[in-house]
Amino acid sequence: MKGLAKDLGRLVSKEKVRTDAEDRHAYASDATHYFAWNMPDAVVLPETPEEVSKVVKYAFDRNIPLIPRGAGSGLSAGCTPVRGGIVLDMKRMRRIIEINRGNMTAHVESGVILGHFQKTVEKKKLFYPPDPQSQEVCTLGGNVATRAGGPYGVKYGTTGNYVLGLEVVLPDGSVIHTGGTCVKQSAGYDLTHLLTGSEGTLGVITKINLRLLPLPPAHRTAVVVCESVDQAASMVSEIIASGVVPARLEFLSQGAILLMNNYISPPLITDGQAYLLMDLDGSAVQVEKDAGHVKELCSKMNAMDIRVIEDENEAETYWEARKNLYPLIMNVFKKVITEDITVPRDRLPDFVRSVQNISSTLGIFIGLGGHAGDGNIHPLIGFPQVTEELEKKAASAIEQIVKAGLELGGTISGEHGIGLHKAAFLVWEKGETQIELMKRIKKAFDPKGIMNPGKIWEHSERA
Amino acid sequence: MMLDLKKYEELMAKCSHCEFCQATCPVFLEDLLETHVARARLELIRASLVEGSLPVTKRLRDVISRCLLCTNCVQTCPAGVPIDEIVVAARHRLYEEKRLDAPRRYLVNKFMSRRGFSGFIGMAEALAQRMGLTPRELPAQASKRFESLCRGVISPKEKARARVAYYVGCATNAFYPDTAMNVVRVLTRNGIEVVIPDGLVCCGLPALVEGDLATVQKMVRVNIPILASQEVDAIITDCTSCGMMLRTKVAKALPENDPLRLQAELIGTKVWEVTDYLNNVGLSSEPLGLPEKYTYHVPCHRGWTPTINDAPRNLLAAVPQAELVEMEYPERCCGAGGTFYMNFRELSENIRSHKLEDIGRTGVKTVLTQCPACRSYLSAPLADHTVMHPISFLAGAYGFEP
Repeated sequence: MKGLAKDLGRLVSKEKVRTDAEDRHAYASDATHYFAWNMPDAVVLPETPEEVSKVVKYAFDRNIPLIPRGAGSGLSAGCTPVRGGIVLDMKRMRRIIEINRGNMTAHVESGVILGHFQKTVEKKKLFYPPDPQSQEVCTLGGNVATRAGGPYGVKYGTTGNYVLGLEVVLPDGSVIHTGGTCVKQSAGYDLTHLLTGSEGTLGVITKINLRLLPLPPAHRTAVVVCESVDQAASMVSEIIASGVVPARLEFLSQGAILLMNNYISPPLITDGQAYLLMDLDGSAVQVEKDAGHVKELCSKMNAMDIRVIEDENEAETYWEARKNLYPLIMNVFKKVITEDITVPRDRLPDFVRSVQNISSTLGIFIGLGGHAGDGNIHPLIGFPQVTEELEKKAASAIEQIVKAGLELGGTISGEHGIGLHKAAFLVWEKGETQIELMKRIKKAFDPKGIMNPGKIWEHSERA
Repeated sequence: MMLDLKKYEELMAKCSHCEFCQATCPVFLEDLLETHVARARLELIRASLVEGSLPVTKRLRDVISRCLLCTNCVQTCPAGVPIDEIVVAARHRLYEEKRLDAPRRYLVNKFMSRRGFSGFIGMAEALAQRMGLTPRELPAQASKRFESLCRGVISPKEKARARVAYYVGCATNAFYPDTAMNVVRVLTRNGIEVVIPDGLVCCGLPALVEGDLATVQKMVRVNIPILASQEVDAIITDCTSCGMMLRTKVAKALPENDPLRLQAELIGTKVWEVTDYLNNVGLSSEPLGLPEKYTYHVPCHRGWTPTINDAPRNLLAAVPQAELVEMEYPERCCGAGGTFYMNFRELSENIRSHKLEDIGRTGVKTVLTQCPACRSYLSAPLADHTVMHPISFLAGAYGFEP
């Protein structure tokens, strides 16, 4: 695009604009690089909402696509350019503007790193639970745009449950402030939660008001070793139905434990077929009581072993291992595709059986591991080799898994968002009428279609 | 052989693009441009130098150069991609051993083969130093290099409980002979016999970071036979970077069928950083009290052994009255990166500024760290602090002059 670098440089300063092929290459994808890889025309690193607004206005006047981006750690190709355009890298907008203890809220810029934010509020004995496992790098803006979540989802929900207000630059460059800092709001349409999860297709999120919780005083980690995947899946809903909601409740396969033992110290026994890793939180007394209760329940259900881990440092090695599980898998496979299907948790055993059937019928590896407590179990297709035959089988497996999940009343994405990766399936879940409605909403916000084009639903213009 | 990009293709494919490397790359954390983080470096190396889908440009060379080789990304990467070796291999390919211009290459090679400047170059360096022509972070060469102060076998007073060979690196030999003296004093005080082998040269790391494999091999071929001929329980170094090189890189730098390679691997398994070694065998002599507060900066080249991070902390916990005041991010890079700071002055100073703030907030005036490059790079702006090797602090607790 002629003159683009010069024009943008004039708007926000040269140092914040990159158009070299090397820089555009670095911004051509996210963690689903195997799925889509397209270079943008320019990368801009704005530092203020005013700079964002200037660039957006410029792009609006010239019909140039805009792709907002946080850390680029997403799992849906949500920030992968589709037809060139300008990537707005928001990482330099990283000010924590306010942490308000009295109101239990925080006001942040959208490039603030989640892990840094969590550590900062914890120093004030406050708690921000949403915990996508990329938390050491991912940005709060990216979290809001995708409604990201993680293990804490089972008890505390995901990012969407904590957003109270947003500052958003609309596609014409105007700036709106939705919601606010009130913990209850009932005025007009809830634009805050329309923009939350909009994956950069409606505007650019520049600031966020977040709700905080008091930091739970005590934690206890427990591991249940199960003789079958089925047994573990049934245990999940039994534990919760019995009245104990763990803060985190993860389902892990034997293979996952073999990998995680790189981090777990001392290493865990590996003769179980499936494992439940849970974190109980609350007051010290409550945690103790819940641990005893879970232990009793799981042994009644014939668990092979139940370990309540008293040592905090040892417990931390489990969660550290869990955090690194996704990239660790690359030590075993040449390629992996992670799905994000989520089902109502009482249907989890049915879903697990379906996935196992699909896996054995097609003869491909489908691992199960994830936030079982909230029904979000991340079927993962592993490629020992990347061959055309396997690619075909994987595509067929994904279709079947999606159908199985939807039949059980599930959703195609619990926390990753749709992006390009799942766009083909959204209509299966939502139906044509809802997609048409979404398109009309999109048009109202973005009449020229410049905001992150090509995402969420299938587009005829998709590259 | 190492440094052949072809050999790294499979390891490169292990990168899942999770972006976790953004969390710890000091270079990336300065400008937050993703081109400057390991994941992008790796992809650019693949595109430009393996697949040829992008041309080799000035910008590419800049991206490959703009890496401290601190190995923080390697330590963070759950898949264990050896990004440092891939960057070195890319430099090897791009520059064919000639990344430095001829005069600088000559100087560096002289320095490496003599573990310091000697003779005419030594005098010239001293003169340049006095005239302010060298970076102020580069320390002046000591009047007497360690190898001229101490040689042969130094035995403890009592019967030795172990015997170690002491590999003295270039920087310690030329700039910090007092550190080396303290290593010898503390080891012998603790019943360990120290052998200082003759004829050793640089470990090769300064050439490796340039991708200059020929020079690395030259050094390795001198060092390995000397070290292999020592009858010792362990090989000790005071420098975390020499230790990393000897433990994890030296064998890989040799051709696969080279008879020296197996020997180099065996040598590697015997290499210990001195505080890590002492912490492992335990002190036999109780330190006296030393009423002083100190803080500890963990050098980046720590990933080659899991216990090195805490070794000085554990060891010095035995010193009565001494008190560790932790800085906020002890593992944050200081920005030196060997000689990286000479080529990227502003970037390095920015990286260092965070470290200086961390140190400042402790309110403590004694900073301990093993790496000589960290030491000199941190000493320059910390005129009212003492920056020293943990072993020198321990030596002080035994009543030796620290």
